[in-house]
Amino acid sequence: MTEATSEILMFQVGPRVFASVVYDAVRIGSVRAVAPADIVLGSALGMPFGRERGIVVAGDDGGNERTLVVDQVIGVRSVPEEDVHPLPAFAAACLTSGAVTGFVIVDDAPLLLVDLPTLVRERSGAAQATS
Amino acid sequence: MPEPRSEPRADAAQQGTAPDAWFFSLRLIGGRYAFEAPLVTEVVRLGPLTRLPAAPSFLPGVFTHRGEVLPVLDIGQLVGQPAVPIRASTRAAIVHCGPWKVAVVSEGVEGLVSIPRKNLEPPPSESSGVAEFLSAVGRDGQGTVAILDLPRLVETARARAVPAGSGHA
Repeated sequence: MTEATSEILMFQVGPRVFASVVYDAVRIGSVRAVAPADIVLGSALGMPFGRERGIVVAGDDGGNERTLVVDQVIGVRSVPEEDVHPLPAFAAACLTSGAVTGFVIVDDAPLLLVDLPTLVRERSGAAQATS
Repeated sequence: MPEPRSEPRADAAQQGTAPDAWFFSLRLIGGRYAFEAPLVTEVVRLGPLTRLPAAPSFLPGVFTHRGEVLPVLDIGQLVGQPAVPIRASTRAAIVHCGPWKVAVVSEGVEGLVSIPRKNLEPPPSESSGVAEFLSAVGRDGQGTVAILDLPRLVETARARAVPAGSGHA
């Protein structure tokens, strides 16, 4: 009998490591060739140290890709679904970002699980609101 | 038709024989604070905190306890006081307030205290800081203890946080 697993993408922004569902990422690559308007530099996860690597995320309609700048893409891990936890209700009700959806336990340490499409959408909305 | 069961209690209060009230007492922001004892399910030492991005200051993080992820509530930060220092020895009371389950971080845990109801007085009329959340002030053998309306405090904390999706990233 095989246990159910989830595929997660682990990446680093600033000093912290985060995780996302692997299917949220369209591809990973350099941000040098990306148009500035499609780059998401700072987000609820904080500001990256550099601006060389990015995770490309599809927009709401499947098009209009946005590139989230990260410092390092650590890799893909397969984790048991029992190690994936939702955000506690009180914490979910208090956060100003809806992009943090829960936790995944990796090597006995909880990593924040991030919904990448929501993250870049929130950042886009904030940028439009301030422009 | 039987009489309502609440009447004997009212009679007892009028006669000064009301039973003691039980509270759970913590040391917070330099004083003794307590809340209704049945709200507390457990007292734990805080494990390593995972800080949350975009979280208000009164929510310093979450920790895992017996496989469950629990949010930590710092009442000091909520009422504009310094944060409770979080160390390996820091303890928290896990409480249920309506739909919310949170770990209230403390400077020290005193535990259950019994206060005669005649020793419970109305809170001061101030409406700022922690006084906003007091339901009574009591006295026992250890001195004065401020009684918190914890469900109202937790609900106020939630309401003061900007809800997700409001455009603040």
